[in-house]
Amino acid sequence: MATREPETGWHGEQSDVNHLRGRAFEATCLALTAFGLVSVLLLLLFVAKDAFRPLSADTGWLATYAATVLVPLAALGVYYYRLDEPAGEVAYVTSGLPVVGLLLTGGFAVLFIELLSVLEWFALLISLAVAGGLIVAHGRLRSKAALERLAVMFLAPILTVFGLPPTEFNWFVTDAAAALGLDFGLYYRVISLREAIMLLPFVPTDWAMLLLTLVLPVAGAAGWFVGQRRDSRRDSLAVVGITTVFAVLGVVAGPLLGIGTDIWLLLITFAILPLGVYVEGVVRRGEGVRGLAFPVIAVLGVAVGSVVTGVLGFAGPESWLDWGFLTSATSRTAADAGIYPAMVGSVMMIIVIVLTTFPVGVGAAIYLEEYAPSTGLMGKFVTLIEINIGNLAGVPSVVYGLLGLALFIRILNWPQGSVIVAGLAVGLLILPIVIISAQEAIRSVPDSLRQASYGMGATRWQTIRQVVLPEAIPGILTGTILALGRAIGETAPLLMIGAAASVRLAPNSFFDVASMMPRQIFTWSSELDPAFRHGVLAAGVVTLLAVLLVMNATAIVIRNRYQRTG
Amino acid sequence: MTDSPTGGLSRRRFLAGSGSLGALALAGCVQNTRRDGDGSDSSGSDGGSGSDGSSGQVIIKGSSTVFPISDTMAEEFMSEHDGVNVTVDSTGSGGGFKNWFCPGDSDINGASRPITDGEIEQCSSNNVEPVEFEIAGDALTVAVNNDADWVDCLTFEELRQIWSEGGVTNWSDVRDEWPDMEIERYGPASTSGTFDYFNENVVGEDTKHTTEYQPTEEDETIVQGIRDNKGGMGYFGFAYYKSNSEAVKAVEIKNGDGGECTPPSLANAKDGSYPLARPLYIYVAESALQDESVYEFVKFYLEQAETDVVQEIGYVPSSPEQRDKNLEKLAEIAG
Repeated sequence: MATREPETGWHGEQSDVNHLRGRAFEATCLALTAFGLVSVLLLLLFVAKDAFRPLSADTGWLATYAATVLVPLAALGVYYYRLDEPAGEVAYVTSGLPVVGLLLTGGFAVLFIELLSVLEWFALLISLAVAGGLIVAHGRLRSKAALERLAVMFLAPILTVFGLPPTEFNWFVTDAAAALGLDFGLYYRVISLREAIMLLPFVPTDWAMLLLTLVLPVAGAAGWFVGQRRDSRRDSLAVVGITTVFAVLGVVAGPLLGIGTDIWLLLITFAILPLGVYVEGVVRRGEGVRGLAFPVIAVLGVAVGSVVTGVLGFAGPESWLDWGFLTSATSRTAADAGIYPAMVGSVMMIIVIVLTTFPVGVGAAIYLEEYAPSTGLMGKFVTLIEINIGNLAGVPSVVYGLLGLALFIRILNWPQGSVIVAGLAVGLLILPIVIISAQEAIRSVPDSLRQASYGMGATRWQTIRQVVLPEAIPGILTGTILALGRAIGETAPLLMIGAAASVRLAPNSFFDVASMMPRQIFTWSSELDPAFRHGVLAAGVVTLLAVLLVMNATAIVIRNRYQRTG
Repeated sequence: MTDSPTGGLSRRRFLAGSGSLGALALAGCVQNTRRDGDGSDSSGSDGGSGSDGSSGQVIIKGSSTVFPISDTMAEEFMSEHDGVNVTVDSTGSGGGFKNWFCPGDSDINGASRPITDGEIEQCSSNNVEPVEFEIAGDALTVAVNNDADWVDCLTFEELRQIWSEGGVTNWSDVRDEWPDMEIERYGPASTSGTFDYFNENVVGEDTKHTTEYQPTEEDETIVQGIRDNKGGMGYFGFAYYKSNSEAVKAVEIKNGDGGECTPPSLANAKDGSYPLARPLYIYVAESALQDESVYEFVKFYLEQAETDVVQEIGYVPSSPEQRDKNLEKLAEIAG
């Protein structure tokens, strides 16, 4: 009978313990991290210096602003950090909200200038609202007819937004109408509600339409939010009421102040309303009220600074990145060159990508993770597909550009260099990334949740919709927005699909020829005049980086938000 | 129940939301097709050339040498004509013909050499009839590094030695007194008209253009390459030399043994004394000229090509006679 020797030692007892290797490894990792961060920081500083040229300003100008803005804000920052952390968060939000609000205002202003008239927006929203109403009404009246409701859900928006395509019957109707002297000029088809609204001889003025379809819905949502939080119907009505009063006041007073009524309404909706609700909440809670000083001092400091520099005659920096750069088209002279059309092009391209890639990518990910067979021959096939999606994520972007060229321009005959072609080509490029990140997010939902859901008698569809998706959404959104960040910086596919080197008009529709920011930056890199390569180029890069940072910040905010509530 | 993450979200709302979103997405597209289709439903589908009547669009591709001229014309024209979108791209003369102009995807192609028979064939097989206009002159400039003090003037024969296939590798191979240093060659890619011109007129038919060089579509890269390498050498349009005249040194060119060393300049290109002077062209698709925007733009282009605008960029403007000839040709074809 074998007896086991009692174990006296432990594994590794014989070897010497030496901390040196571990320390050396740690130090190496630290050095590598620092190297990466510092070199990126230096690069950014270098580009920013070229873009803003702070050294071209008078010393007096720099000193004035340092004294009126930088020093007080830095002091406040230190104070918040050391003594009053909640106030720090309030300061952070109250400074950030107006910036995001102004960006949104700018975005909608561009939307109304380039893409849609206010009337078109109005007609579209009213039609969608009617479609929504139809669906809700159907649900109330015939709550058991699931299949019928599905049909209503698809048909109602189509009917209200698009109308019916030409058919024999419509020819007959239109001919009959024409015989009676009624000419709709409408291609022999049944028109939609949207088109009908646009044909109305009398429509509300622009500001009234904006008030109805933008200000009031947003104010209503804010009011609902406030009402929910405070459990008070009065407060939510107050939010809507005050917003409306301000909006109407602005419409009356705006022309006196030199602000267009449309811009005023957008400002109210996106900048003032959220800020007001937040500030009111802070004051009511009484926590971190001191944080409100931060934006006030910032604005005051800038105002005082501009007065002082104006009086003393200090010249500011001759920055390449200024208002003119953001609002004008590229030019042969560096001083006049701007990025506006390319920026609009990029944003519209991103819209195309979001509308196409997100549903396709997330849908594919849900199928692959939740429905696709994992065993047998079909399971092997699915594995093969998944491997190839991974491979597609690594295919060089030029190849996607060529694919876009062949598919959309040569076969489908869509206009070369147009927003839709660019969006679809770049969308294809990030589709595998979206699928993979969405798959990862769905996979990370614990199986126990699914089993519990099934155990309670839920169907697969109910489980996916109510258990899996809500858990996975933050991950899906984060992955998608990071992929969009890559999409907005892609240049090679744009070159392949013929995005032109110089485009001076912003696209008015998705089928218009457009330039995008990286394409425009590439053009500037090879201009004759060195001022383009050093100044304008840097300004373009900073703009692109700013857009990217805003997108990534959005990703982080969305993720945190869902994680908190979810 | 209220704790459930989606307690408030019913299937109805979910579908309604996604349905509306989809409708919104589609609505964006419909807007466009309608606007695009306005009055040009028939021509919209066949050409895909962007020359549809109402769109007011002119698409220019082609030579990087002509690009600065076309881009300036586009900017000037657009400041006078609201709503006409003139887009300019630099693809190289050959690249422009082959990939965009002859397939019918662009209205105008800039070229720093005449169109070849093969290209005419490709165009006509797609029912594109190119119309040639000579719009400016260029002095093709050969440049070396600023520190290359040994070389001031090169003959055609020496250029041929340097740039032909299997030619010399070091400066000392060209002339014995020159340093024993490798020649670093930078030049335009073979899709470029400048390459074609140089290949035909300098390298000649007996040998081929060397492949031992850094080809690029961006003239800026050539300048940088020469600037950073003492043994560097390259060639490009005069405009690029003009805006980089401090970064690199232009070499005088001697035609044959009897000729004189002539520096590249617009004056020398104009009076014909500079041997590497060459004409620049734009080619317009005959069918595109039926479009009012294209016609107006080409007319503007041809008129302005005679003015100082061209000279400021760094090219020889076309002569008044040339301009009149061009305008006559345009009127004849469009009329």
